[in-house]
Order: sequence, then structure tokens, then C-alpha cells
Amino acid sequence: MDTKAKTKEVLSNLLKVKIDELKDDISLINCIGVDSTEMVESVIALEKSFGVKLSPKEITKNSTINDIAENIQSKLNK
Amino acid sequence: MEKIAITGIGVVSPSGIGKRQFWANIKAGRSFIKKITRFDASLYPSHIAGQIDDLDKYSHISERLLKKIDAFSHMALVASETALQDAAIDIKNEDPNLVGIFLGNAIGGWLYAETELRDLYLEGREGVSPYMASAWFPAAPQGQVSIYYGIKGFSKTVVSDRASSLMALGYAKKVLAKNKLNMILGGGMEAPVTPYALLCCNTYGALSKDNQNPAEAYRPFDKQRNGFVIGEGAGIMVMESVERAKKRGANILGLISGYGYSCDGIDRINCSPDGKELARAINMALCEARVNPEEIGYISLDGLAVSVWDDSEIKALKQVFGDNLKNIPISCPKSMFGNLLGASGALDMIIALLTMEHGLVAPTLNLETPVLNGLNYVAKQAKEYKVAKSLVISRGRGGINSVLVVEKP
Repeated sequence: MDTKAKTKEVLSNLLKVKIDELKDDISLINCIGVDSTEMVESVIALEKSFGVKLSPKEITKNSTINDIAENIQSKLNK
Repeated sequence: MEKIAITGIGVVSPSGIGKRQFWANIKAGRSFIKKITRFDASLYPSHIAGQIDDLDKYSHISERLLKKIDAFSHMALVASETALQDAAIDIKNEDPNLVGIFLGNAIGGWLYAETELRDLYLEGREGVSPYMASAWFPAAPQGQVSIYYGIKGFSKTVVSDRASSLMALGYAKKVLAKNKLNMILGGGMEAPVTPYALLCCNTYGALSKDNQNPAEAYRPFDKQRNGFVIGEGAGIMVMESVERAKKRGANILGLISGYGYSCDGIDRINCSPDGKELARAINMALCEARVNPEEIGYISLDGLAVSVWDDSEIKALKQVFGDNLKNIPISCPKSMFGNLLGASGALDMIIALLTMEHGLVAPTLNLETPVLNGLNYVAKQAKEYKVAKSLVISRGRGGINSVLVVEKP
């Protein structure tokens, strides 16, 4: 599974939203109305799932799935 | 002071969800006290309760929201929705700044808190859900219901042990009487059937240990009484001015006309054995309602099934009603589904409203040999009475007294 698909799966399971609702190029706040507490939880879940360290400043409500997956991928490549 | 109309009832209880199912079970005198099955409670001295197992079946709440909230907020959301439906109110049509919410709760959301505290010690701080902070505290249901419906008016959560929800209704009445708001969702919720909350209730020392006979364990005012049984649930009502209710053609279910309150102030746990302060609260409620004691047609008892509480409650009633007390039907229907602690008064209020609507006083279960004779206890089965005015009593630890007078429209 590629990074983008896995990111969607983690967020879908965590936030209890359908994978289809997570659009590649629309911010999380605009596509699923994510709140700040959900963002904290999302960062922790993605860190656990990918084994990378993420900062809440890097992944925000305004991030898209593409942004998040690229960020994670770049850390995985290091 | 102005009377306030109740135009919608939402009830989530071990005896049923929604007022029809609830009343069908209450008037039939069915017990819903059972052995606790949610977790292994077998080593607790008291391991029986009124437990709700089918809330999800009636829930309109998304999975996404459910994972952020405790069971007591879930119950409050379901009760609020059913109350609004019963009142035929579409909250989208209301001015959100003029809608309030007044709820009572005693212990908070421990099912959520316990799980997260366990994870804190097992996994460290990263193991704790970020929702913990907003899920467990007593005002969480007020917040969740406000967010769900966009309620923005003056609101309050009352934490006053078992008297919480009746006090919340009393405060709501006062606020509405001042024309500060158009409508209020008033009531309370409690979810004490959790390992830690049950432990605390056991430590309190007032729970019945008759685990082998759950349906017979809670027996207020009976010679064989041995303490109360906890229950979980929520009772929420739509409250508004009589003028507004009439204008929109609402079905007025009852009128809150008087609120009285007092504190015994003599002990950290127990009430005063003389009942004087409770009598003062009853008189205060009657005075505000401009109702004479002889006009009261039904008294909903607090009935803790602990000698000092039961006996002082009857003493207070004798001080107010004198010899006429023997003519007034009195009952403690919570003996069927358990004492909902901070939400108990709201459920008693709902039963009082249904009592007046149907002309039927629900029974006190297991009241076979009263400790104090010569009173008109309605026991074992419901009894027909035309009731125009009721008195509802709710008391909390340390002798917090709260009393409402409610009238048939």
C-alpha cells in the first residue's frame, strides 16, 4: 500500500469517516470539518502507523491528503 | 412568580427510552434492576443496577462523535433529541442566542475517564485520547448538546449530588421567568455503572447488598430496606413560557410553578434527622407556587431507602402537610429502575408529569411493611388518582434539599 492510501486508511479508521470523503487535494478542514483535537489525535496515529516523528505545525487542519502523504514520504526516504 | 410550561419530554432510562415505553413499564410496576453485566462487578459488595443496554438502537449520533464523548453525554444527546421531537420544535428555527440548556449531574463521565487513566499509566501520556479533557467533566453533556444544536444562550450545569437535576430545573424556571431566554432544555444525566463510579458508590455505604434478589433490593420506606440501587440514564425536558407555548400551539404537559431549596448543613454525608430544612424547602416551593398544602394531589418521594433519609423525609412532610398527609398519594417509582443520582430528580419530574396526564400514580416497588404507618403509600401496583398538582422532592448528600411544584395545565 502506498503512503497516500495508508494515510487515508489511518485517518478513515481513526476519525470514523469514509475513505471517499478524504479528498486528495482539499484541506481536512474543508472536506471533513476536522477539529483541533482530531488533528492532535491524527498526528499521533500517523506517527505510530508510519514510525516517523511529525510536528503539529507540519500537519494542520489546512493540510490536504497529498500534503500529509508527501511529508510522511519525505521522512521515510531520509 | 410566573409559571413555566413543559412542552417536551425526553427520557433515557433502564425502564425504557422515549416516554411511551418508559411509562408503559412504570405504570406496570416492572423492575429493571439486574446484576451488572457491563463489566465483572461480582466482587463489589453491591453489584446490581439499572443498566441501559440498547442505547445505540435509539441513537442518532455518528460514530465519529461517539468516540469523543462519554456515555452520559450520549444519553443527554438522545434525551434532548426526543424532547425536542416531543415538543415539535425544530431548533434551526430558533434564535440560538435565546435558547439555553440547564442540566444536572453528580459524578461526571467515568466510563471514558477510567479507560484513559488506565492507558495513561500503561502507555504514558501519548496513550491518552485528546478527547479525555472534554469528555469526562460534569458539564461535558451541556457542551455537547450545545454544539450539536448550536445553542448559544445562557446555560448552566448544576453539580449538587443527587439533587442536581431538580435544581437545574429550578434554576431554568427562574431564568425563563425573567424572560432572559425563549426556551431551555432542562434536566440531567448520569452514568454511574462503571468500575470506578460503582466503587465510589459502594464506598458511600448506602447501597443495597441484596445482590441475589435484584428486583427486590431497592425498597424505600420498607422495614426491610437496606440501601438504594444505582441506575443510569437521562431526563431532559423542553421548557418555555406559557405565552410562547400557547402562541405556537404546543401541547403543554405541565407547569412548573414553584421551586424551593435549602441545605441541612450539619454533616458531610448525612441529612439532618429532624427534616426541618427539607420542610422549609417544601414551604418555599409551595409559597412561590401560591399553592396551599391541601391542594397537592401527589408527592414524589426522594426515597433513599436509608433510615435517616427516609424517616426525615416523612418528618418534613408531616411538618408541612400535618394530618392531611395521610390523604395524599405518595410514591417513589425510582425503586423500579434505580436511583439515577444527579439525574434522579429529572426522572421523578417526568413521572410526575405522566402521573397527572394519565391520572395514575406509579407504585413504590417492594414496599410491603412501611416503617411509618398511616400514610397513603402507593405500593406494588399503580393506582388511579386525578392529580392536578404534584410535589417533587430530590435530596443530595449532606442534606441538599430541592423541591418543585408542578401543575397540570
